Amino acid sequence: MLLPEPIQKLINAFERLPGIGPKSASRLAFYLLRAPEDVAQDLSEALNGLKDKIAFCEECFNITEAGHPRCEVCENPKRDSAVICVVEEALDVLALERVGAYNGKYHVLHGVLSPIEGVGPDDIKIKPLIERVARGGVKEIILATNPSMEGDATALYLQQQLRPHKIQVTRLARGLPVGGDLEYADQNTLLRALSGRQEMS
Amino acid sequence: MHLKHLSLTNFRNFARLDIDLPRRVILLVGNNAQGKTSILEAIYFLASFTSFQTNTDRQMVNFVEAKNSLAVARLVADYQRGRRNHHLEARLILEPTGTNGQRLRKEVLLDGVKKQMNDVIGHFNAVIFVPQMSAIIEDGPDGRRRYLNLALAQAVPAYASVWSDYNQALSQRNALLKALNESAALSLSKGGGSGDQLEVWDEALARLGAQIIQWRIEAVQQIERLAARVHHELTHGREVLRLNYQPAYDPLPPLSMKLTTDTDRSALKADDIRKGFLTRLKEIRSEEIARGVTTIGPHRDELRFLANGIDLGDYGSRGQIRTTLLALKLAEVNWMKERTGEWPVILLDEVMAELDLQRRADLLKYVGESEQVLFTATNEHMFAPEFVEKSEVWKVEDGTVKKD
Repeated sequence: MLLPEPIQKLINAFERLPGIGPKSASRLAFYLLRAPEDVAQDLSEALNGLKDKIAFCEECFNITEAGHPRCEVCENPKRDSAVICVVEEALDVLALERVGAYNGKYHVLHGVLSPIEGVGPDDIKIKPLIERVARGGVKEIILATNPSMEGDATALYLQQQLRPHKIQVTRLARGLPVGGDLEYADQNTLLRALSGRQEMS
Repeated sequence: MHLKHLSLTNFRNFARLDIDLPRRVILLVGNNAQGKTSILEAIYFLASFTSFQTNTDRQMVNFVEAKNSLAVARLVADYQRGRRNHHLEARLILEPTGTNGQRLRKEVLLDGVKKQMNDVIGHFNAVIFVPQMSAIIEDGPDGRRRYLNLALAQAVPAYASVWSDYNQALSQRNALLKALNESAALSLSKGGGSGDQLEVWDEALARLGAQIIQWRIEAVQQIERLAARVHHELTHGREVLRLNYQPAYDPLPPLSMKLTTDTDRSALKADDIRKGFLTRLKEIRSEEIARGVTTIGPHRDELRFLANGIDLGDYGSRGQIRTTLLALKLAEVNWMKERTGEWPVILLDEVMAELDLQRRADLLKYVGESEQVLFTATNEHMFAPEFVEKSEVWKVEDGTVKKD
């Protein structure tokens, strides 16, 4: 039996989402079919609002509510605009904000360099970052891309691009997680922790 | 290392096999095509998570089982490492993809916990010798690199993950070189920006590659020392075996690359190799962009075997190659013992038939020092009676194993 088109369309739409396979997609679609009207209504409103009501900050490309050209962090006069922390995704901003220990600003790249996927420097927000630095007033850039191969490569690329601007460029420390057990750390982490060891002072 | 119990489900022609293995020499005797080699293959799989044969991992799933849309082969080993007992389970899962394809997925559980294969390689050690392995010496460099990788992954704990990182960096770099090549052909953009991007992948490639090169230099040197000694005895002092490692990026300055000199790279540090590698990559950049592929690095390394200065890959006789391979494998056993402090389980497939009486005796003397050895043979008369006396003899017949 062929599924009626509206259902099939919904299943296909779900399947395109990350982390959702064909089974989950059909389960979600049939759940919505059976669920009270307002569940589907709320979902569709939320989805509609997503693109309309969310925009990207003009300065740092973090997510912001539509109508505000700049995000909360960039608007905040108490934040130190001399320090910029560069992250891959807006979610990373959230993680760092939760720590509450960082008082500078952000820059969201929206991706990392990956030639295999055809992502080059022009496909992520690198140019706007360089322009931000070129406008002056920035003293330090903290590179906080993920410690993956692509994240590292992107950090290295940024470091090269920032070199002519004579500002301090730092990279988040890597190594053992706090509260983790040495014996359960994987080899790569340990290898990096060992090569990045610090003198005790 | 003592493999105490092996359990196979749907592995090759074994629908089900459960055997307890003593800590001594075990002779697996049976006619051809009964499953002797498959037992060795299974044990070796638990050490390396790949077959000793290239590209046949999916064929290890029992062919009747493999007809199911979801097929699983399971290998379970209980073994003692040091003074601890461990339980290692490997699953080969053929699962349906798309309309009628099947994909092979491997799962590994150490002591009941699911782990990354790269983290478990080397926890259980085995060295395997099968006659087909003369291809290592005779055939292309792929096989020799594979040999080096499999040996190193077992003995150097971080090798497997650094090697897979290296390959990831290599793919990224090749993709970029190809893109640069294409855009150069269309003369879309050149110079400046693109070169900068290449630099970051050069950096990753050189850092990981240098580590691999350094490990290989060290390993080849140690294995050569051990293999030359064994080979010297096997040939009764008539031949001198040399292993000539030829890295595609050679950290030694080209001046010392005369064919006959002893090229000693052992003093090189990983960081110096990295710097040199990086410089070389910059020098050949335009050539690599023109070819759209990375031309130097450990993925193109070569290893040659020389007896009395003569290259065995090109000029070795069948006997010479067989002796060399045996020396190499026995050296690998000792090398692993040196590096890990554990004797690997030794797996020898049909070696006796190929050797003369003197060499058979030599071989038995060498393996006698280790903990556990499995031999396969079509009949036990290949072995000296007093040797059979000391060993466990098992009959392998049509996918079952019986104690004699």
